[in-house]
Amino acid sequence: MKLASHYNRVSILVTLSVLFVGAIIYFFAINNIAARLLDDHLSEEVSELLGYINARQELPNPVDFDDDQTKFIKTSQQQIPTRFYDTVYHSPKKIGDISGRAVEGKLSFKGQSYKFIIIISSESAEYLVQIIGIITLLLMCGLFGVLFLANKYFLNGLWRPFYKMVANLKSFDLASPEKFTPADTQVTEFIELDAAVLSMANRVKSDYQNLKQFTENASHEMMTPLSVIKSKLDTLIQDDSLEQEQFDQINDIYSAAGKLSRLNQSLLLLVKIENNLITETEELDMGQLIADKIRQFQELSASKAIVINSKPAGKLVKVSKYLIDILLNNLFSNAIRHNVSGGTINIYLTEGQLTFQNTGATLALDGDKIFDRFQKGNNSEGAGLGLTIVKNICNTYNWALRYEFTGDLHAFSVQF
Amino acid sequence: MLTYLSGDNNVCESCTDLAGAKAKLACYNYDFVLLDIGLPDGEGFEVLEFLKAERRSEAVIIISARNSLDDRIKGLDIGADDYLVKPFHLAELKSRILAVFRRKAGNNNNSLIFNEISIDLDGRNVTINGTEVVLTRKEYDMLLYLIANKGKVIAKTAIAEHLWGDEIDMHDNFDFLYSHVKNLRKKILDATPNDYLKSVYGIGYKFTDR
Repeated sequence: MKLASHYNRVSILVTLSVLFVGAIIYFFAINNIAARLLDDHLSEEVSELLGYINARQELPNPVDFDDDQTKFIKTSQQQIPTRFYDTVYHSPKKIGDISGRAVEGKLSFKGQSYKFIIIISSESAEYLVQIIGIITLLLMCGLFGVLFLANKYFLNGLWRPFYKMVANLKSFDLASPEKFTPADTQVTEFIELDAAVLSMANRVKSDYQNLKQFTENASHEMMTPLSVIKSKLDTLIQDDSLEQEQFDQINDIYSAAGKLSRLNQSLLLLVKIENNLITETEELDMGQLIADKIRQFQELSASKAIVINSKPAGKLVKVSKYLIDILLNNLFSNAIRHNVSGGTINIYLTEGQLTFQNTGATLALDGDKIFDRFQKGNNSEGAGLGLTIVKNICNTYNWALRYEFTGDLHAFSVQF
Repeated sequence: MLTYLSGDNNVCESCTDLAGAKAKLACYNYDFVLLDIGLPDGEGFEVLEFLKAERRSEAVIIISARNSLDDRIKGLDIGADDYLVKPFHLAELKSRILAVFRRKAGNNNNSLIFNEISIDLDGRNVTINGTEVVLTRKEYDMLLYLIANKGKVIAKTAIAEHLWGDEIDMHDNFDFLYSHVKNLRKKILDATPNDYLKSVYGIGYKFTDR
């Protein structure tokens, strides 16, 4: 749920309850005021009545009081307290019951005690209350609607820089040299957040750049000692006095040095690809390249008695010859290295896709991990960078790289 | 490196910085200069510029730890004859040196003779005792490589890297190499009784008449 919805929910609940309680208090207050006004009116009527009786020495006729009704009832009661109350009465002029306000009390006239009741119509007062109620209700609805709309649109506008920042963060790519575009906002909190995000992103990026620079330098620096090792080994094996045992050990050193230098080269290559340092492109025929590679790898595949089935179509791609060479090398090397003796490799090239299928281990690989650095099979002799490099090259050209395991065939497909 | 290259009556001298290199080059004429770009007191390119300015005829191979295209192009533009990236095998270096040297020597004698084996470098033909031996491209390249490093033990990795490039990385599985060596040896033995191609303790091969 969005923050705005949370806020809306709370604010609507609070507004509603305040309005509800307010409306009740308001209603009673208005009613009370109206009743008191009527009561004042009645009190006047009573004093008028008493004045009339004192002046004329007779009881007035009911008609004398136009809409109001006045009743005199003889009573023997000694005490009748004066009281006001709501009542309903019949008016001769109007049909049906009319709600009214009444006062009753006692008066003495010519030695006789009377209980008098004066009723006046409270309809106009009720009408007033209704009108005020309706106006108030309309006002409240209007206020409510305005609040709701304001929350909805104004708040959305208020949050726009925030969403811009979130989008920025989502599209944040450590490797890309692009800088953050700051969100345009006047809100202090957002400005602060934006500044924090910006400085964090820049710091992370510069750290990452340093790290890459370090990788590159370290790899370069390692090349010279590696070269020394190789040269010394090349010289060492010229020694006639060496025995088989020493040669075996030298062989192991050769292979370790070779592995190290390949690892180094792979790391350097990754740095180059990630930094987009290899930019020159040319139009190349993928089918032709694959045919060349099959020739180049024929000795290797033949040594494992692997059959390569290839159905290359002509497909032109605009890429770097260097990178596409490495991509194909790695795909071929993998397909051969992880193959079984007497296995097969199927290569399909269509307008939209290049697929390498090869026989091999009967278990599927973990498709999420195989493209990560240094992820390799248990009995793989490689450095675990081959597929990472393939993936990075594909990323460079916005190609999708997928792995599938179907019917005992491992398939790597590149979608152009 | 000096030991490896000093065979065959070659004289090799070395120095470790830019100043020393310029001093030596100013005093003597050499046939061949092997130049490391990363020198402690400057870039090796200066030596190349020095040679170019003096209109010297030394053949130059650059060796560098940086496998960058720019450096390579820059080096070759200034006048280097080849560019070798570290780490490399000495056998590879020697075969490159000989190749550069042959190219510099001109076209008058473009054949390579090893006892009764004669290689026509233009036509890529091999004749032994006057009979032509038909070799595949890989076998031909291998023979050239072996003869360039004659009398030396060459590691299997060095041969594999020379023939297939180090991008093709088969992780020390040299079965495929073995069959090529076997075929080449058989073809040579068919034409001459001398077995020059010797296997050395599983580490590599040696092409020698001794």
